[in-house]
Order: sequence, then structure tokens, then C-alpha cells
Amino acid sequence: MTLILEAVLLLGLIGITVAIIFGKDLMTSVVIYCAFSFITMFLYIVMGAPDVAFTEAVIGVISTVFFIIILRSINRKTK
Amino acid sequence: MMTTISAFLASKGIYLLTLILLSLGVAGIIVCNNYMKKLICMNIMQVAVIFFFLCFGQKDGGTIPVAVDGLVKAADYINPLPHGLMLTAIVVSLGTTGVGLSLLFRIMEKYGTIEEDDLIKREKKF
Amino acid sequence: MLIVVITVPFIAFDVLPVIGDPESAPNTHVSDYYIEHAIDECNSPNMVTAVIVDYRAFDTMFETTVMFLAGIAVVLILANRPRKRIPSAGSYKRSMTVAGRAIYNTVNKDVMISAIEPVILVYAIYVLFHGEVSLGGGFQAGALIGMTYLLDTMAVRREKPLFRLNKFQSGAIAGLGPFIYAVTGIVSIIGGGLYLEYNKLPLDIHQAELHSIGITAVEVGVTIGVAGTIITILNALIERISFDDDND
Repeated sequence: MTLILEAVLLLGLIGITVAIIFGKDLMTSVVIYCAFSFITMFLYIVMGAPDVAFTEAVIGVISTVFFIIILRSINRKTK
Repeated sequence: MMTTISAFLASKGIYLLTLILLSLGVAGIIVCNNYMKKLICMNIMQVAVIFFFLCFGQKDGGTIPVAVDGLVKAADYINPLPHGLMLTAIVVSLGTTGVGLSLLFRIMEKYGTIEEDDLIKREKKF
Repeated sequence: MLIVVITVPFIAFDVLPVIGDPESAPNTHVSDYYIEHAIDECNSPNMVTAVIVDYRAFDTMFETTVMFLAGIAVVLILANRPRKRIPSAGSYKRSMTVAGRAIYNTVNKDVMISAIEPVILVYAIYVLFHGEVSLGGGFQAGALIGMTYLLDTMAVRREKPLFRLNKFQSGAIAGLGPFIYAVTGIVSIIGGGLYLEYNKLPLDIHQAELHSIGITAVEVGVTIGVAGTIITILNALIERISFDDDND
């Protein structure tokens, strides 16, 4: 049962990755990356690694904020 | 039915999905034109590697690795070794992201763009 | 095509262990020892903390050093004088002269953030000193302290900030973390043991207590290192970016 839940979450991660690669707006990509790290956190909890999940929750937020700080000074649109 | 799916996932399926995630990250680094997207794809690749390591630590019927009274056998707990190794890896990934972002900012300052083909065009002009 | 190239060899040959098997190779040899002896030897019910800062403490010392070096590298890369400020995206300044004050400069968010910051700090200290008993540890506590500073910086400009550092001060603090870690190891050498061998610390108490003291000292070092590095990276990035509501 745990493994099936893991597989569903991993499929979600793969879909998010495809959305990041083909997105046209960098802000969308960064916000979707935040969702990515959140799903990753849930996956770690399912696997029984709460320490790693705790770290990932905090670090995911911080790295998203770093990306957004940089986004203030570059062009958001991409090809 | 459920047990068949679980058995397939335990032997091959989870590894297959993880490797697809890893190769999507690598493909993103190669294909994407924007340096910021390359950085995000690098982070995704890192998550796939971390997940691959954590897969080894799982045990059927084990609890999380915090000691409970009455459970002393090694089979009762999930393997803590990959957790410890990967916890430091996640924190270090924040450092690499910061260095990458500062390099990206310098490229932006110097050339005015972070698109790879524009940058190569500008390089050829000089 | 890349997916096929990477995936097929792993699937075709049966090299990887079955997930969830208690008898597989990664789950047997050394990790059994760690699980069964963590409480007796390290006095630390949380086995992840025991593995990180007791059995593999030498490894973690250099991880902390790597974080410190990353912070220093960001400061050095962004150390040149900017030729000109990059024009901020959008025309927010113009709209501000038309519309008056910035619309998000409200009391509400300010009060909310100053209410939530002490709670996060208290939680970070709890995670730090309780890391060997329950979940958490030095890395998480450092990241939480860094996140508090980040909230404080990203909020609207306040009269009295909680704490404000420039990038050199925070870089010095980040260097203090690995230093505390290394000094703990040297103290255990003075007590007659090996480097980072906690039960040889020169104090006259029980061995389990010595392990607790050693783990706590090392985790304080890790916390200071990680928090200082996050604050350094944030400071170095944020002082080069011009914001729309900067009045310069």
C-alpha cells in the first residue's frame, strides 16, 4: 500500500518536471518548483524519513525565496 | 491484484520511476535554453538521487528511527544510515543553489541576458 | 532516448535490492550495529542524530565547512562594484506616484510577522536542544533561524527589525560554526581520546552525559554555521537587487 502511494506521488513529480521544462514563464516554473519540493516532503514522510522531510520543508521554502529574489532583476519571459 | 502491483513496484517499479525522474532532470539541463531553468532542473536531479538513496533504507514493518521502549531489534526500525547521509546532502544543495544563482546574476550583469543562444551570439560578436 | 539509455540497463539486470526487504545488503551490516547500539553508546534515542553527529561526526564537520565555503563564494562572486543598477522590471514607481502609498504597506502583515517570528525562533531552539531525543537537529534548527531572518528581511520595512546583520558580520558568524565544531574535537583530544571521541571529554561526569554534552556542542556549531551561511547568501543577493519600493 505504501509503495502504491509512493508510485502515485512519483508520477506527480514527473508531471511537475515536464511542466517546469516546457513552461514559458519563469515565475510559473519557480512556483511550481515550490510545489515540487512540497510533494517531495510528503513522499519522504511516506517513506518513513521524517528528519529528511523536515529539512526538505524548510530548505525548499528558502531556495524558492532565493529564486524569487533573483527573478526581480531578470526577464521573466522565456522561449 | 494489490499484492501483484506491490511486488512489481518493490522489485522494479519504484526504481523505474525514480530513474525516469533523474533522466528528465538531465534532459532538462541539456534541452532548456534558460539558465534559471537549468538550475531548477539541477535541483530536480538532486531530489531524484536523494530519493534513490532513501529507497534502500525502507523496511517492511519498521517504524521511524526514533527509539521506542520495548523495541530493541534492528528489524523494528527503518535504516537510519541513508537518512543521515541524505540530510546533509539536502542542506549542501542549498549552498550549491546559492552559488549558482550568484553566478547567474553575474552573467545577467555582464551580458544582459540569461538565454543560452543569445549569449553565444554575443560571444561571437566580440 | 536519454530515458531509455539510462533506464534499460537498470531494469534489464536484477542488480538492485528489493525495496522493503529486511535482509537486503544495505539493511544488514553496519546499520544493524547503529540501530542496536545508539542508545547505549551515544545516549541518543534519535538514531539519525546519532549517525550524523556521533558515528560520522568527522564527515559532518566537512559538510558544515562546505556550507561555509559556499557562503564565502557567493560573497566573493558578487564582490565587484556594480557598474550601474539594473533597471527594475515594471513601472511600479510611476504607478506609485499616481496611486500614493504602496498598497501592501499595511499594518496587518507587519503585526502578523512580528507575532510569528518569536514562535519560529523558540521552535528552532527547541529543535536544536531536543534534537537527540526527538526529530530535528542542528541542520534543521539552522535553517529555521535562517528562515526567520528571511521573513524579517522580506517583510515591509520596519522601524525596529528583530536583528539585522551585514554580509561580513554574518560571514564571520558562519565561520564560527565549523570553529566550534573543530574545538569540540580538540577538547576531546586534550582529554586523552581521539578526535571527536566524546566519552573522553575532560569532565568528571558519567559517560552518557558526556555524549549528550558532545552532541549538543557539535549541534550548536552546525546550527550557527548553517544559519550564518543562509543569512550570508541572502544578504549578498539582496543588496545587489533593486526593489520597486526602494526610495533611493
